[in-house]
Amino acid sequence: MREELLWVEKYRPKKIADVIGNEEAKAAFVEWLKNKRRSKKAILLYGPPGVGKTTLVNAAGNEFGFRVIEMNASDTRSEKAITKTAGPATSFIALDTFSSESKGNILFMDEVDGIAGNEDRGGVSTILRIVEESQIPVIMAANDPDLQKLRPLKKVSALVRFYQVRIPLIIAMLQKICQKEHVKAEFEALERIAENSRGDVRSAINDLQSLAETTKTLTLQDTIVLSARNKDVSMDETLRSYFSAESLLEAAMLLSRSSVDYDDLLMAVGDNLPLRYTDPSDLAKAYDYVSQADMYRGRIGVENWHLLRNFFNSLSQAAGVSPQSYKPFALISPPIRVITLFWTKGRRTMLEAVCGKIGQRCHVSRATAKEDFVPYIKALLTKKKADAIVSWLELQPEEVEFLTKMNRL
Amino acid sequence: MVVLNKKTFKLPFMDREKFLLLMRLGLNYDKATGTFCVANYNNIEKLADTLASILKVDEVSFAQTCTSCGKEFACSGCKYVESCATKNLPFQCVCSQCLREG
Repeated sequence: MREELLWVEKYRPKKIADVIGNEEAKAAFVEWLKNKRRSKKAILLYGPPGVGKTTLVNAAGNEFGFRVIEMNASDTRSEKAITKTAGPATSFIALDTFSSESKGNILFMDEVDGIAGNEDRGGVSTILRIVEESQIPVIMAANDPDLQKLRPLKKVSALVRFYQVRIPLIIAMLQKICQKEHVKAEFEALERIAENSRGDVRSAINDLQSLAETTKTLTLQDTIVLSARNKDVSMDETLRSYFSAESLLEAAMLLSRSSVDYDDLLMAVGDNLPLRYTDPSDLAKAYDYVSQADMYRGRIGVENWHLLRNFFNSLSQAAGVSPQSYKPFALISPPIRVITLFWTKGRRTMLEAVCGKIGQRCHVSRATAKEDFVPYIKALLTKKKADAIVSWLELQPEEVEFLTKMNRL
Repeated sequence: MVVLNKKTFKLPFMDREKFLLLMRLGLNYDKATGTFCVANYNNIEKLADTLASILKVDEVSFAQTCTSCGKEFACSGCKYVESCATKNLPFQCVCSQCLREG
């Protein structure tokens, strides 16, 4: 494995000045962070994805000596989970503040717009409480701040807006990378890469690297292979390119350029491997690599993105276990789990509705209703006094039919 | 179109409501010099529209500072202006000359 496989990791900004674009937002954020008598304890950074909100927080932490405690609010949504992660971090001042160069901790809650209404059981109110009680700076990031549920958070936070990174800034950055990597590139080629990226710096760097791997003098002609970047690139397209990659590097580059969800990608690769390898020993080796990739995905979590290259490498090795045995095959895409979820959506919605009714009547959560009540109600519905239960729970005829016919919970 | 310098610019006399609106939208007023400057960038589009109505012009934009040479320049001369999703912010970009020279 090469030491620095992906330039996007190699050139990840370590200092605030290295984060390109959004100068005003950067200045406002730094001013807030440096100010010890902040009028607002929290700050909400908002703007489209891929403009450097997370990178700026990490760079600022690095530059000013703060330890960034990162929490992805869309992964950790319930009151209990948020309190468990963020509570201790914000309640106490770190001991090393007094003994080392560290200025203490900052709590960074990414993707707070991922918290959704009632389903989160007090997620927003918990964040509000944490902001109010916190002894350390609380930073939040969101793509869409206009959501109704974020209004309370906006009231207690200073707001900083981020904009898409401009084409000239991306071109200038690509020029610097080319200089450092000793790649000669025509201006028009870099211009094309920047335009294709649609303001996404990461994509632009990945495109540049993938093109520069094949040639040391990048021309406009070389960029013809670049298709306009489409954020909604299908899983099918990603898998097709991945399984037909001619080298491990090509496979890794393809994966890193794709914008499909990494967990879905992992599942899709796992589902398709039996179609790719007919030899059981090859298949076993490939699954070993997928397992390794899965392990890296778990370790990446929401903050260890430097492990992403290991994830891509392991996954690309799964595609290249036996290159000579390759033959075209019909892909399973999207992954089986996603297909299953799609087919069972109607049934799951119905079950949720039934559990909601049971929960309301019996004063229990939906989860408890599903686990502890539904099996008994299903059994009771076959008995003589079923009508009383049906009317008490206010179940609709189709819900009764669903419950009686339901085989698996 | 009028290109304004974000750090300091003058505006014609306006009524109290419009002045307060500009303050709310993120402008600061320096009494000593009688000049305005942009202090908050979160409502920049609305601010530009309000300024355009005060100046009675179609469009108002703010001068950009080149991150390489520090020169002030207007977005109107940029060849990417049509595809640029952020016409007003940030106020810093790379001028065409610096971009060409790499």
